[in-house]
Amino acid sequence: MGYRITAKEDLSPIDYFVEVEAPHVAKTWKPGQFVVFILHERGERIPMSVYKAENGRIGMFIRKLGKTSMQLYYEYNPGDELWSFVGPLGKPIKVKNYGRVAFVSDAVCGQAENYATLKAMREAGNHTISVQTFEDRERVYPEKFLAREVADEYYLTTLDGSVGLKGHYLDVVKELIEKDKVDVIFAGGKLGSLAKLAELTRPYGIPTYATVRQIMVDGTGMCGSCRVLYDGEVKFACRDGPVFDAHKIDWEDAIRRNAERFAEQERLAKERYLEYLRAKGVI
Amino acid sequence: MPKLIKERVPTPERPVEERVKDFGEVNLGYTFELAVKEAERCLQCPENYAPCIKGCPVHINIPAFIAKIKEGDIKGALRIIWNDNTLPAITGRVCPQEDQCEGACVVGKVGDAVNIGKLERFVADYARKHGIEEELLCEFEETCTGERGKVAVVGAGPAGLTCAGELAKMGYKVTIFEALHKPGGVLIYGIPEFRLPKEILDHELAKLKRLGVEVKTDHVVGKTVTLEELLEEYDAVFIGTGAGTPKLLNIPGILLDRIYSANEFLTRINLMKAYEFPEYDTPISIGKKTVVIGAGNTAMDAARSALRLGSEVTIAYRRGREDMTARAEEIQHAEEEGVKFEFFLNPVEFIGDENGRVKAVKFEKMRPLEERDARGKRKIVGTGEYVTLEADTVIIAIGLEPNKIITEEARGLKTNPNGTLVVDENLMTSIPGVFAGGDAIRGEATVILAMGDGKRAAKAIDEYIRSKKASA
Repeated sequence: MGYRITAKEDLSPIDYFVEVEAPHVAKTWKPGQFVVFILHERGERIPMSVYKAENGRIGMFIRKLGKTSMQLYYEYNPGDELWSFVGPLGKPIKVKNYGRVAFVSDAVCGQAENYATLKAMREAGNHTISVQTFEDRERVYPEKFLAREVADEYYLTTLDGSVGLKGHYLDVVKELIEKDKVDVIFAGGKLGSLAKLAELTRPYGIPTYATVRQIMVDGTGMCGSCRVLYDGEVKFACRDGPVFDAHKIDWEDAIRRNAERFAEQERLAKERYLEYLRAKGVI
Repeated sequence: MPKLIKERVPTPERPVEERVKDFGEVNLGYTFELAVKEAERCLQCPENYAPCIKGCPVHINIPAFIAKIKEGDIKGALRIIWNDNTLPAITGRVCPQEDQCEGACVVGKVGDAVNIGKLERFVADYARKHGIEEELLCEFEETCTGERGKVAVVGAGPAGLTCAGELAKMGYKVTIFEALHKPGGVLIYGIPEFRLPKEILDHELAKLKRLGVEVKTDHVVGKTVTLEELLEEYDAVFIGTGAGTPKLLNIPGILLDRIYSANEFLTRINLMKAYEFPEYDTPISIGKKTVVIGAGNTAMDAARSALRLGSEVTIAYRRGREDMTARAEEIQHAEEEGVKFEFFLNPVEFIGDENGRVKAVKFEKMRPLEERDARGKRKIVGTGEYVTLEADTVIIAIGLEPNKIITEEARGLKTNPNGTLVVDENLMTSIPGVFAGGDAIRGEATVILAMGDGKRAAKAIDEYIRSKKASA
């Protein structure tokens, strides 16, 4: 049985939105949890954050980064089916009234989590603060995909300052915590930024939770590919996370493992796929 | 009394130099003529005495099926095996026969034991290829009404598949919930193609479908659907979730790149077909010198897979040669194929290069004591001497423990300190109507024991549902 794609839209020149019919997952998904999908019989298992789970459908933000994410973008359209779609996986975050809750993000999955988390946090009665960082004006998402609508306070930043505030969410967080009280910070996106965020908030003692993206296979705790050191102990991001207390994660290893483990193979697969697209005249 | 023939009829195997280049099956199995010849070695011990029957965890009437082979009646042989075991093509390939039926064989006291495993496999393979199985299936199908009640099975591994098949034959409508995208459990993600070709598993799954069993893949019980929800919809539930979480070594360097759990390494290869990358999208990264830690079947599977991906392989085990837990045939195949063995080495540290990739493993040399542990293995102690083996790939195959996903969600499920589910003598868990078997209750055992549990649980589930319906 396949899982039908119901919508696909550009978010920016590098990111896109895709929505898939998966009622078995949408029914029980909660913020913090992720899904795993496979495009086709020869495909790999891809873990992905969730932007929305509504009406039996799961919406996701995806970056055209490697072979699979590009193939989904270039060869799959609404009406087509994904071969496998499983979830929700991982532990949900605790949604309750913390007071003032911030979500900060600077990359595609983080932007999805930003919206999803703050939507739930606002419904739980929190004052929600969203900070979304993009590279430049061109890469900022269309308004309807931003987290603005679920944020009581909203900050858009671009690294080059071409729209919104100039700078990174880290700059905004520093100001925020020096100016106002922030009770808890959630964060997603680039691991390097999350590591810096952990160091930034540590001296203030602000609880900081980050989505620790790691390379996974099954996503259910079966293989240990996504292991991280948490408070000196081995934990699996898929089963024990993916959201962890950012102050207890060994970020150096997590960053390297995510970037390096299969870099060579990923590059080869991508080049091969680009060649295929060029031969077909798609790009 | 037939004349005793001490030597086994050998089974044809692919030559080493050919088989190490691919993942195709190594042992080719008996032909009809060879099988009959081997069957003739059986002394036909009477059923009430036969040590082989006692040695078999599911008590297949071995002398009886072997007698049918002698007569050339393969359908008769299959019917006898199916009484106790519906997956003989699989168990004939993966059971540790030397510790079970063959270990108990009377002929084995004076010569080679009768090759029961290969005969079992022959019956299944021959019946499949010659339409005999099909004839038997049609007989079974008549009882598969699906009207006696509804049962949910969690996990499509050996325990779950067996339980589902038995219940279907009794007339129950069975739905299997499987977390992965393909059913089979360890048979598909763990055991390599060269030991258990996937077409055999596919065939067994098709058989179950014929019996009316439905498989819902992509469903993680405890996440996608809760145990409570299953109990609302089904008359009973069987949990066969296995021992799916790898144990990792708690030593420095465990986060270095190219250190895999055997589960990750084998899942990438078997389930995801990483050995055909980039035709298949899942990658695997392997160097020139692989060290496998552990000496069970999983370690042999990982070692021989690494070898087929072009690496030199050394198995490092903290105990001695005679303490290895793998099947004799797997150890023999690994040695023939060029896997090296180092004994009495206990890993203490993984050493990495400047890029965070493993480059060596440091071991403490161990020595055996006279005293034995609960499993009958010699105890070992450290010597204080250390040795370092060069390794650009490491595979950790030191065992598994139960996955906690279902027990974390279903709080009413009682577990033992090691994470296995508590069950009573009828394999019922602490939640009425929820049964369990296989590695989920045993920790880490064998395919055949899991299948035995699946069968026992099916009987218990049948009784449970009948008495529930009778009192209603």
